[in-house]
Amino acid sequence: MDVLGEGIADALRLLVTGDSGTCQITLLTLRVSATATLVALAAGLPLGALVALRRFPGRRIALAAANTGMGMPPVVMGLFVTVLLWRSGPLGAFGLLYTPTAMIIAQAAIATPVVTALVAAALQQVDPDFGTQMAALGATRLRAFGALLVEARLPLLAAGMAGFGAVVSEVGAAMMVGGNIEGQTRVLTTAAVLATSRGEFALAIAFGMVLLGLAFAVNLGLTLAAQRRSTQPRAAR
Amino acid sequence: MTPRIGCRDLAVRAGGRTILSVDALDVGAGETLAVLGANGAGKSTLVRALALLTSRERGTVLLDGRPAIRAAVRSAVAAVLQRPILRRGTVAANAASGLVMRGLRRAEALRRAEPWLHRLGAADLADRDARGLSGGETQRVALARALAVGPRVLILDEPFAALDATTRTDLIADLQVVLADLGTATILVTHDRDEAAALADRTALLVDGSLRQIGATSTVLDQPADADCARLVGFTNVLPPELTGLRGTVVARPEHCTPVPPGDSPPPDTFVTRGRVDRTVPLGGVTRIDVSTDAGSLACLVTGEAPDGITPGATVAVAVAAERSRTVHDAADLVAPARP
Repeated sequence: MDVLGEGIADALRLLVTGDSGTCQITLLTLRVSATATLVALAAGLPLGALVALRRFPGRRIALAAANTGMGMPPVVMGLFVTVLLWRSGPLGAFGLLYTPTAMIIAQAAIATPVVTALVAAALQQVDPDFGTQMAALGATRLRAFGALLVEARLPLLAAGMAGFGAVVSEVGAAMMVGGNIEGQTRVLTTAAVLATSRGEFALAIAFGMVLLGLAFAVNLGLTLAAQRRSTQPRAAR
Repeated sequence: MTPRIGCRDLAVRAGGRTILSVDALDVGAGETLAVLGANGAGKSTLVRALALLTSRERGTVLLDGRPAIRAAVRSAVAAVLQRPILRRGTVAANAASGLVMRGLRRAEALRRAEPWLHRLGAADLADRDARGLSGGETQRVALARALAVGPRVLILDEPFAALDATTRTDLIADLQVVLADLGTATILVTHDRDEAAALADRTALLVDGSLRQIGATSTVLDQPADADCARLVGFTNVLPPELTGLRGTVVARPEHCTPVPPGDSPPPDTFVTRGRVDRTVPLGGVTRIDVSTDAGSLACLVTGEAPDGITPGATVAVAVAAERSRTVHDAADLVAPARP
């Protein structure tokens, strides 16, 4: 208990004094995970929409694959990406292994199935005739699709948050493809693992608290933005 | 005058079979056509095909007499689907959303939609959340949204189906006034002949995906062409020649069929068939009496309670008012009052 208490006290001291190493690691974490989430959204939104709205052979298999991907262990995805980027691997010529770009690739691959499956679920929650009704009012396909996204914005936001949550908290893939190189590929999760293994519990707890704070701040901002829009009209009954 | 919207040789296929096949249909500007049919007859499929909202197996949709292209139909048509789907947001925003879908700026769309909320009696709902509306209110907003875009063709797919009787009557009355002022070609899908009678100049009867009869509403509702059409417009008792001894099949509404207690004489100007009472069902003010005959069941509707002697199991005569019944033929719309 003393270890935990002292660890938290030391962590708070570290955070308040603004440790430069921690700041650098935090910024890199934010950059890698946010970029990976954006890439996952760019891929997962159209894929999820395709699976939700179109009928094609293999659609259910695609949906099942996305759902399976939600439970994919990051370390397995890290292994695949490592093999791909390995010097003698198919993409080895790009020299990306142990760079933040490799971490973004691995994390985007982890988040894409999560986003795809949740986007599909979000769009399937909307009335199946929604697009037809918009078209029946004169909407082009693009406008009708835009209206559908707006209609499903809360569950879509949840898909984005789940994607961010999946990557900002994972350690296996970041460790494997990033290598936890100080000043280059060290992020909050890998730093916390290293600090723990060295017995530097205060530092590890500090990283953990920053990680929690970061995830909370991002999700709080998105939630407040979404809730503000969705509760604008007030029932006056 | 060139019809506003129509089709030629239109067919729609689904589930491996043709579910709609219409040779020709035209609706003119300022006219309201009711499409009357039972559940599953293809009513919604027909109007969705006309609005190019569903793919066709074959055929041509005509807009202003010319084969319609998607962009022209999109601009001309507004539809209220069977289940009114409103968006998240206020009633005012929903009423304006059809215009927004057509590219208008939000402020301008809100300004243009506002009078339609007034005309449909929904102005006091403008600031309400659309998700908290009753069925009738939702339908009013959906109608305002469709009318606000100024459609040249208005499609209403069973807009009153889920409403209680009072709300339905109010909304029909309001819509009647609104449609009278518009030069819109309106197609009203319904399974209720009263709605057709209240709103439509002409009525088309759709049976199993085919148009069986089309004409002035008063004619179609009173002179069905065949037994299927007769059932659709309320002549639900179908009496084949072997039951009546008449030439042709006779159809009659339940309210024009009266069971005659044993020992009583049938009323004048009726013809009589015999059967056995299956059941009597009090319906509040009237009683329905089902009578089994050799050719199937007849439903009779009498004012008040069932007459003495009309009890389940009793053998009775059923008097069918000759002047109010119709003789139908298989193919042609040859219609005449039945004569005993």
